[in-house]
This record gives sequence, C-alpha cells and structure tokens, in this order.
Amino acid sequence: MRLSGLFALPALLAATLAAAEHTSNWAVLVCTSRFWFNYRHLANVLSIYRTVKRLGIPDSQIILMLPDDMACNPRNAFPGTVYSNADRAVDLYGDNIEVDYRGYEVTVENFIRLLTDRVGDEMPRSKRLLTDERSNILVYMTGHGGNEFLKFQDAEEIGAFDLADAFEQMWEKKRYHEILFMIDTCQANTMYSKLYSPNIVATGSSELDQSSYSHHADNDIGVAVIDRYTYYNLEFLETEVRDTSSKKTLGDLFDSYSYEKIHSNAGVRYDLFRGGAEAARKRLVTDFFGNVQNVEVDGARNSTALEEELLSLSRTIAALHKKADEEEAAAEAERRAKGAKQTPAGPGSKGAAGPFVKPLTEENWLTKKLLGAAAVAGCTLLWGLGSFLEGSGK
Amino acid sequence: MARLLASALQLRRNPRILKLPPYLSFLCILVGVAWLFLLPLDQYSRRTYISENALLPGQVHTYFSGSDQNVFRAYKHEVAALAGKTNAQINDGLEPLLRGFGLKTARQNFTYHAAGRAYAGENLYAILQAPRGDATEAIVLVAAWENVRRELNRNGVPLALTLLRYFKRWSLWSKDIILLLTPDSIAGPQAWVDAYHDAHDPSRVAGLPLKSGLLQGALAIDYAQEGRFESLHVVYDGVNGQLPNLDLINSVVHIAQGQMGIGVALQEMWRHSNRYGDRLRTMLRGMVRQGLGLASGPHSAFIPYHVDAVTLRPFGQGWQDEMALGRVVEGAFRSLNNLLEHLHQSFFFYLLMQRERFVSIGTYLPSAMLVAANFTIMAIALWVKSGQPGDAGDDDKAPPPPADEDPLPTVERKLFRPLAAVALIHAVSVVPLYLFNHAPESALAPLFALFALLSAASRPSSPTSSPAPPPPAPSSPSRPSSSASSSPSPSSSSAPPSPPSPPSTSPSP
Repeated sequence: MRLSGLFALPALLAATLAAAEHTSNWAVLVCTSRFWFNYRHLANVLSIYRTVKRLGIPDSQIILMLPDDMACNPRNAFPGTVYSNADRAVDLYGDNIEVDYRGYEVTVENFIRLLTDRVGDEMPRSKRLLTDERSNILVYMTGHGGNEFLKFQDAEEIGAFDLADAFEQMWEKKRYHEILFMIDTCQANTMYSKLYSPNIVATGSSELDQSSYSHHADNDIGVAVIDRYTYYNLEFLETEVRDTSSKKTLGDLFDSYSYEKIHSNAGVRYDLFRGGAEAARKRLVTDFFGNVQNVEVDGARNSTALEEELLSLSRTIAALHKKADEEEAAAEAERRAKGAKQTPAGPGSKGAAGPFVKPLTEENWLTKKLLGAAAVAGCTLLWGLGSFLEGSGK
Repeated sequence: MARLLASALQLRRNPRILKLPPYLSFLCILVGVAWLFLLPLDQYSRRTYISENALLPGQVHTYFSGSDQNVFRAYKHEVAALAGKTNAQINDGLEPLLRGFGLKTARQNFTYHAAGRAYAGENLYAILQAPRGDATEAIVLVAAWENVRRELNRNGVPLALTLLRYFKRWSLWSKDIILLLTPDSIAGPQAWVDAYHDAHDPSRVAGLPLKSGLLQGALAIDYAQEGRFESLHVVYDGVNGQLPNLDLINSVVHIAQGQMGIGVALQEMWRHSNRYGDRLRTMLRGMVRQGLGLASGPHSAFIPYHVDAVTLRPFGQGWQDEMALGRVVEGAFRSLNNLLEHLHQSFFFYLLMQRERFVSIGTYLPSAMLVAANFTIMAIALWVKSGQPGDAGDDDKAPPPPADEDPLPTVERKLFRPLAAVALIHAVSVVPLYLFNHAPESALAPLFALFALLSAASRPSSPTSSPAPPPPAPSSPSRPSSSASSSPSPSSSSAPPSPPSPPSTSPSP
C-alpha cells in the first residue's frame, strides 16, 4: 500500500509540471516567395534561422523552407552568399546550413502536412516536425500576403482559416505545448486573426491594409536585403538576447516594436494563451528562440520522493535477499544436517549479488550526510587555521 | 413597355430623325477632339510608375568610370581611324577588338532593294555569354555606325565597345549580352532581327551563324555629337506605330533622371516646361510619329518582334560625359538582367507627354473612337435615306406620311452599279500601290502629287457619273479607310481615289 502511494506522488508532480514546462524547442521557418527581387524574404528567414541556431536549437529541430536559391542565382554579385545587411558582415548562407524543403517543395500542402504530421512513410525524419505535447514551436513566416492570405510561390496561397485549422489539429494531436507565431508580410496581422487553438502567442508586422516595408537595399547586390519588422526583431535578439541565459521576455520583445521603426503597426495576439497577456508576456524569448535549458537545480520535494522510493526499493531487495539466503541456508542445513548460516560460498548469482549490490539503507544515507558535513567542517577549519596562521605570521 | 416600344417605332418613321445624324456626327468629332485636348491636363494624364517588380531600376551602384574612360579613348581612336572606310574594312577593324575580349563574333550580309536603291551591308555582332546564366535569354546593345541622320556614331560605337569589355568583367549576368554593330540604323538592325527570328528572306539576308537565347530587350546608343552632352533623348517609336513596353522607358528615365541626374527628353522636345503647351506638343508629336509609322532609330526594328527597345541619344551642351551615358546603360542592363520574364506588366499603348506623364489607351481611345464613330453614323444615315422614296433633299416639302398608311414606304435600292464602282475603284488602287512600291526614290514625290491631283479630280466627277439614286456610294465611306490601312506603304494611304467621306455627307445640294 505504501509502495503504490509512493509511486503516485511523482506521477502527480510530473502532471503539474507538464503544464508549465516544455522539454524541447522546434522552429518552423518558412519563406514563401521565390525570384531574385524577393531576396529579402529569404534573407529574413535565414537571419531567423541563424538566430535560433545561435541560441541552441539544433538543425534536426529546425524545419527550414526556402523556395529559391539566392546564393546560386546568377544575378548575385557575391556568389554563394546571402546577406541580410548592406555591411555584409555575416554570410547567412555560410558553410553550415540545412534546408529541409527547397524549391517547389515549398507548397501549402507540404506546409500543412508538416504541421499536422500527416506524411507518408517515405518522408525522412529531417522533413518532419516530430514534436509532442511538451514542445515549444516557433513558427516564422514571410512572403507576400494580403488580407487573410499568404502567397506561396506565385502559385497558391494559404488562408488564415487554413492556418488556424492546422494549428487546431496540432493541438488536438498534442503536437505542441506553446507556439509563438510570427509573420512578416503585408497585412500580416490578418493571418493570425482566425487562430482559435490554445497556447498560441501570435505577432505580425502590419495591420489590415498596411504594407510591410523593406528596411534597406544593398546597392551592390541590387535588391532590398531585409524587411523592417524582421530587421528590428533581429536587432533585439542580437543585442538583448545574447545567449540562452537571457531573461528577456516576450513582453520586452513586443514592446521594442514601434511604428517609427517598423513603419507599420506590428500586432500581438495574447488571448489564446493560457493566462492571457500577463502570462504570455512573461515567457522568456529563449522559450521559443532558444533550445530548452531547464535543469532542475532545486526541486527538493521531487528529489526526496525519488530517494524515498529508491530507499524502499532497496529495502525490499534487501529483504528479498535475506529471505533467499535464509531459504538457501535452510536447504543446505537440511541436506548436510549441519548449522551453517552465514554466507555460503554457493556458485549461484544470488550469492554473488550479495557483496556487489550494496543495499541502500537509511543509515547509509545518514553516514553520507555526516561524512559530507564533516568534510565541509574540516575544510572550513583548515581555511580558518590557514588564515589565522597567515595573519599571525605578518 | 409595349407603348414605349410603339412610340419608339413611331419615332423611327419621323422624317425629322433623319436630320439628326449630321449634327450628331459633328458633335462626335467635336467631343473627340476636345477630349484629345484635355488629355495633357493633370486630371486626365497619369504619372508614370514602374509596374514590373523585377526591374528594380536605379538600385545598383554603377562602377563604369575611372580607367574605363581611358579604354574608351583608345577605342575612340580606333573608330576614328576607321571613319570613311567601307563597311567590310570597318568590320575587319572592329572584329579583332571584340575577339580580343574573348567573345565569339559573327557577321551577316544583307541586301535590300527599295525605291530603286539597294541597301547592302554587313552586320557584325558579338555574344557575351552569361558566366553563370543558362543562355536561354539575351539582351542586345546596338551601336549603328551611322545614325538615322546619317551621321557617324563617333562616340556611340566606342562606348558600346567599352561597355561590352566592362560587362565581361562582371559575373552577375543572367542573360547573354549581344553587341550588334550595324552599318546603318534602319536596314542593318532590320536584317539582323529578322534573321535572328528566322523570319528573313534568305535570298537577300544571310542567316546568323551564331545565336543566343530569346531577346528580352535592346538598347541602342546614338551618340554622334562630339564632346559632352546635357541631357538624354529617349527615342521609342517603333515601325508602324508600335511602341515598346512603358516599363522600359520608365526604367531608363528613372535611372538617368533619378539616379544619375541626367535630364530626359522625348519626341525632340529639347526644352520642356511640363506645362500644358509642351505636354500637348509632345503628345501630338508622338501621335504624328505613330501615325506615320516610320522607323526612328536602330531600336525600331526590334519592336515588331516583341523585343522592347529604345535608342538613347545624348544632346545639348552640358557637363555629362560619355561615362555618364555608359552608367545609364549599365544601370539599364542591370535592370533588364533582373527580369524574370518578358516585359509585360506595363502598357504597350500609351501617349507620353512628358518624361513622367502619360495617358494609357483607356483614356485616349474614347477620343479616337468618337471621331471614328461619325463615319458610321453618317453611313447608316445615308443608307436609310437611300431606301426612302422621293429625293432625300426635299423632305421639308413632303408631308409626313399619315400613320395609318403604309408605315414604312421603301424603294428598292439599285446597288449593282455603285457596288461595282466601289469594287472597281478598290481594284484600281493596286496601280498606285505597285507604283509607289517600285518607283525610284526621286520619283516618289511627283508621283504622290500626281495621284493626289487625280483623286481630287475624280471626286467631283463621281456624282455625275453615278446613277439616279442620290447617294452613289452610301456604304463606301468606311471601306476606303480599311483598304488604306491594309496597304503596307504609309504614303499610299491617300492614294485610293475614292471620295473621302466628309464631303459625301452632303450629297445633293
């Protein structure tokens, strides 16, 4: 009875934890436009790609969709590179880039299949979003859009309702814990207006009937290299979120947007999030842009529960051992008719287990604690002594 | 409803309704012409804009300067040394230069016969293959040895050579670049473009031994004047009134004006105040040129093949040097290089009235249609009249027919003779057509005067020779115009000696 009670406790704790913590981070980065003059859209996505990689999300957990290859476009004055700034300090294409969906693979169908994981057996793991109910996902999209749609490659478009339904299906399939949906396109805010699934924070670059503008052009490449909204997101991420230990919150990120910078009204939607704006704004930026780094340092209650459990387990094992030994000894005694109780040199593995498996006992735990305390005390004494001697030597 | 219909039918029989068409027709002309004169106003014309996203004009730094100027001077010497030599000698002199860039070159012979003269020559061209492109598309840089005014293109040819040498250094071309050097500005480009599209007559024009991809655009340089220049004249009229896509003109204007600070003029309006008078004059000049349909430069031959092209001609005394023109060409080529598909976004039918103002076909067409409508109105009126009893002239004296009598008294139209006359006249127009196409150049003007006189003389004689029904050729007004437009030679459009329509509106005074 006591045993089952002990097992129930950690399970309960784990259940409460699941609501608050995520255990993996994924990013879905989608550019939806091709052609040379849309260079900036690819640069947008690649800059976000670079940022999430910098903050620790591995390539295996980033789904990157690039419909065109700017680096190898003959019009590119700097072959093999993509830059998102006219200073050309950072080559976004670099030597380590993993594009999961490229060219004409970037379609609405593939995007929705990716989100909802409705893919065939032949789909490689690198092209799948293998998330669970404790995964945080960053979904970043950029391209040419309009009121409640985003154009994919001049051929088709995804509607706000399609997107909302895809997210809902993800929620029903327990495919995410929380989502940060970020979109940089004209009239971007209309794209998230139809979402209705829980635990989504959504942000977009511009309101209905507003265009999303490019930030600046590189006059040697000859095209605009980045959009304003992405540029200022990137600026925040590069200057404020320098590493995964950053405590900057989504609230800080959203507050950094202003009309003066972006030239359009960036929007944020909190109402789907559990706890509303307050909770959403307290989420760390790294909860979505960085890889999960949750090390449970403190967790006293949890660890005692585990230790108690282990203790009881080892007690049972010890008892079982004893019982087995006794049984064996009794059998031996019966056969040889001679009183030999202690440690029979039997060839059985049970006997060998005796000296190797050291049963955990509470005394043992206490001695360990005492030993540790004594060691600390000894060190302190040594240090005190040393400083005293040094002081007196002067 | 039925009553309304009945009264409308009643109205149809009213003889007074037949008096209306001349006034209606006149009103149409009046409104049409007035409409035309309204177009240059700000309310009716529009500012130009770049419609094609891919062009991105003026977004690149241009680097054509510095040491390239020395290269230009060297080529200028080379070209000056070849001045006055024969076509073959010139090509012999220029071809090694092009081969020196590491380019493939080829030549093409052509001979045209027109108006008793032979236009023969040899084109020279070189293809710069796009280093990383797929060789499916090409853009053309044209420099004719002589411009349309028969002046030596003394700066244009060396500039084109320098530019090609400079373009060779870049690795960012997505399209091949073809440099075409022609002996003249009309026949040479025509022969080359025809042969490029395999639409040439092999007995007169040689085929091209070397080809590249689909032509996406062409720019011609006509820089015959010595020394520096002030502004750029963009010549855009094609053959038979065809025009290049407006995006190309806008891109050149944007690059020259916006990026380089070089003024742009159109239609030989060297000074343009951007006020009503200048706008109207520019527009009318454009219309006249379109109406005449003559080639206006080396670019004209490209436009019928849907290759958008313009000629850049510097003019005036200023401080812009040939390098500035070169940078304009460089910028324009970078823009054309960005194209993903043929220029198609912007207008093909437009009237430019200033470098940044235009009217599109939707705005100016109603004017032309109103003017044209008057012919139809009068033709219908005359036709109706010819079917009514009695002389058309005296409806005033004739009492209106009572309503209860035969509602529409009609007479049989005797059509055979007028139709035969019209057919005969049209058939006879083959004579002037043949004559105009085969007469030597010197005879053209006298011939034209002769035919003008003949057709004027035949006009008063036609009513007398015609049979009794008063309007002799009631349906003829629309036909001569259609036959005229179908005849290829523009000067023969006035040749068919059938009576022009406006006088026939008052047939029996």
